[in-house]
Amino acid sequence: MLYPLFGLLIGLYVGLNMPLSLPQEYIKFLSIALMAAIDAVLGGVRSAREGNYDNQIFVSGFFVNAIVAMILCYFGERLGIDLYFVGILAFGLRIFQNIAIIRRLYLGK
Amino acid sequence: MFYDKHAKILITIVCAILGVMLATQFRTNESIKANIPYQRAEELGERLKVVEKERNNLLLDLQRLQEKTSDEVIAREINLLKAHAGFTALHGPGVVVTVDDSKKAAKPGDNPNLYLIHDDDLLRIINELRAAGAEGIAINDERLLAVSEIRCAGPTLSVNNNRFAPPYVIRAIGDAKSMENSLKMRGGVMETLKFWGIQISVTSEEKVVLPPYRGTQSFEYAKVGEGAK
Repeated sequence: MLYPLFGLLIGLYVGLNMPLSLPQEYIKFLSIALMAAIDAVLGGVRSAREGNYDNQIFVSGFFVNAIVAMILCYFGERLGIDLYFVGILAFGLRIFQNIAIIRRLYLGK
Repeated sequence: MFYDKHAKILITIVCAILGVMLATQFRTNESIKANIPYQRAEELGERLKVVEKERNNLLLDLQRLQEKTSDEVIAREINLLKAHAGFTALHGPGVVVTVDDSKKAAKPGDNPNLYLIHDDDLLRIINELRAAGAEGIAINDERLLAVSEIRCAGPTLSVNNNRFAPPYVIRAIGDAKSMENSLKMRGGVMETLKFWGIQISVTSEEKVVLPPYRGTQSFEYAKVGEGAK
């Protein structure tokens, strides 16, 4: 159970000390990718608790969700449709859902 | 538990990527915050400081200048006005015109007056010099003022109420070339005077010294200003 935390800490450390910073116009894409990633990780935790964790599903879900979210956001921007908010909303709902399920699983009810 | 080793590494990597994304997002957000309003506020504050400093300096300058006005500035102004009025010595490039009576013997029947220098001859020369931009003129070390007269006084000339006999030396400061040319103009003063044998010569000099007006001047009738109606 320590590995994810360990990885997260390494990532935070590297990210905070990375010299390059993102141009402001790309911050939308990163934020939606971030939402997708958080959702994927929480989904992974949930499936692990449920006992049907699959490595491939987890990793592919992590990357594919993030990338698709970014692509969606990009095209939304080009077309003048705010798909960014749609993505944020969808991932936000799923994150809360996942957290609720994880909470229930941990409480054992 | 149920992870194998492969899965652990993958999960760690995925979590590390998530960490990087989180940190980047955080840093970008921070830099945006720092960039727009904070930097702007800082910049404005900096400019305010600079402008305030400038204002204080200018206020000090103003104060100092106002203090100075009483002596230094007024003194400078007075000197300049005195120089314009002719109460100070001046020096500069200019011309020296020497005029003397004719050495020709008057022909019998001719008016001998024609062979002498008259006030109007000198006035013509002076006028020509002034037209050519003379900034200061003196006749025989008598400075010409705005109110100076040049007037016939028997065989002599009276300038500033001092009498002078020929030869007359007229010094003028100004553009030497144009003054000389204006005197030597064809049909001009020199040609006319030379016709009567009057000896006149013009030399340009690098340094001409004009003496100050030595007398005193006071207004007996005139009062300064337009006066109340």
